[in-house]
Amino acid sequence: MINLIRNELMKIFRRPGTYVMIGILVVIISITGVFMKYNLVEDEPNVTEEWKPVLQQENEALKSQLESSPIKLEQDYYKKQIAINEYRIEHNIPFREKYNVWSFVKDSSELILLAGLFTIVISAGIVASEFNWGTIKLLLIRPINRRKILLSKYITVLLFALIMVGILFGFSALLGAILFGVPEQTLPYLNYFNGKVTEQHIVVYLIIYYGLGSIDMIMLTTMAFMISSVFRNSSLAIGLSLFLMFTGSQFTALISMKFDWAKYILFANTNLMQYIEGTPLLEGMTMSFSIIMLIIYFVIFQFLAFYVFNKRDVAA
Amino acid sequence: MESIVVLKDVTKVIKGRTIIDNISFEVNKGEVFGFLGPNGAGKTTTIRMIVGLMDITSGDITIDGFSIKSKFEDAVRHVGAIVENPEMYKFLSGYQNLIHYARMVKGISKEKIDETVKLVGLSDRIHDKVKTYSLGMRQRLGLAQCLLHDPKVLILDEPTNGLDPAGIREIRDYIRRLARETNMAVIVSSHILSEMEMMCDRIGIIQNGTLIDVQLIEEFVHGTSASFEFEVIPSEKALTFLKTNYPTIPVTHSRNGITMELAKNEVPAMVKAFVEEEIQVFGIKEVSKTLEDRFLEVTADKGGMNHD
Repeated sequence: MINLIRNELMKIFRRPGTYVMIGILVVIISITGVFMKYNLVEDEPNVTEEWKPVLQQENEALKSQLESSPIKLEQDYYKKQIAINEYRIEHNIPFREKYNVWSFVKDSSELILLAGLFTIVISAGIVASEFNWGTIKLLLIRPINRRKILLSKYITVLLFALIMVGILFGFSALLGAILFGVPEQTLPYLNYFNGKVTEQHIVVYLIIYYGLGSIDMIMLTTMAFMISSVFRNSSLAIGLSLFLMFTGSQFTALISMKFDWAKYILFANTNLMQYIEGTPLLEGMTMSFSIIMLIIYFVIFQFLAFYVFNKRDVAA
Repeated sequence: MESIVVLKDVTKVIKGRTIIDNISFEVNKGEVFGFLGPNGAGKTTTIRMIVGLMDITSGDITIDGFSIKSKFEDAVRHVGAIVENPEMYKFLSGYQNLIHYARMVKGISKEKIDETVKLVGLSDRIHDKVKTYSLGMRQRLGLAQCLLHDPKVLILDEPTNGLDPAGIREIRDYIRRLARETNMAVIVSSHILSEMEMMCDRIGIIQNGTLIDVQLIEEFVHGTSASFEFEVIPSEKALTFLKTNYPTIPVTHSRNGITMELAKNEVPAMVKAFVEEEIQVFGIKEVSKTLEDRFLEVTADKGGMNHD
């Protein structure tokens, strides 16, 4: 299996296109970094400012809003804010700090979309290209069954996704450290769960943040992989997956305003961050509901890919 | 003779159309088996079924005793094949291509790769990208890819396609040597008849998805009786003499005399008969039929019959 994955990685990293993708990613991170650097200077928050009274004041306002709010989702949000603010005052953790490397890494997570785009391109091509090149014939007459070959390809796609997100994270951290500096004292991230506030190291938090942010991309990559193996057509796989990547969540949001079944749509569930910070798309949606939905979609995609790939006559 | 590839009542139906109809044959160790037929007859489909690229609708194929259907991995382990053109990864070097395939079978050493490269004569260019290779070099790389794991069966679909005469000859000699020296069974498909005649021990003829005949190449070319051209004067007299006295012998007028079909041991008697009739005999020449003639004969006869 390891040999098969090595083969697939060789086929990806021996093509110049792959380096163009990595290059584009690095360049865009750099542009974002420089842009941030020169635009932030003006609205740099004054961190030495007395912040405790500000938070106390905010909490007063939140409390009155909480009492007058009839919606449960809103109430939960206020409760969370109040709890976190109280924790800050109690443990002396300022709510704003100077824009630093970790702020930049967090902002860079927007670029997971770009990493996802490139991963989809690779995923869409990894099976379809073998058919286009005609190499599928020589690949499938080895003493290895087709399921293993397909699995090695899927694992390779996941590895590629990991590499892209890793580059994004690593390079952002490096560039952020150079441009914005590493803070002397790293403030923890405050987590609110079940009415309790806990501290989390910022790096751990960011890794989780990136991981959850990548779910969208992993699901679409899996879908592209499925289309690629079922239809042997990389253009279709790239086109459809990218289209859904950019429009899926908007459409889902539109549908969810009218219909309750929107919660069963893939894109209503890919953003798990909504349960941690912010509010769910629809009432009644929970983290476990979304995870189950994601698993169902995942299994369907994989089943289709493996079933068709295993069955198909190779006549290319 | 020990058979290594066995096809038994193999049928392939695609979308209700029978592409391959009940084909059975065996290929023995150490022989070169030619698979001959016009384009679209089902050669490539049959080969694809042998290597497991296509499902078999009914019947079975075994390689070294393992069914390609139920024991794919064991069966295909002993097969090296090029199906149609040897398509390689063009963006990789020849060597990287071989590494790629070597990794997919257990126990292929670096030395084995180097040895195979030398064997097919690609040592000078093996580290160049495949996209810079000529068609002949790609064929050789394709051959190297087949031979890496010392297969017991080598399957080559149109191996001389696109090669120049020197290349064709090289491949042909090479295939013959492999069969002789390593006792490998080689299955070669082609629609070029002269090619097959020089390369194969036996041939199977396929037309419209049915196997018309399997014969030794000599038998196939010569048939049971041979043709002889008698250079005789006067040829008119000889012709009438034959027609009255031997009405069963097929005879025709040819450019230098007359041509008749008869067994070799009947030739002296025929000469004697001519001499006694005062027909002058200047020469006797055996006219061997080309594979092409035979092929057209066979496909016309049997193919026509099967089609009714």
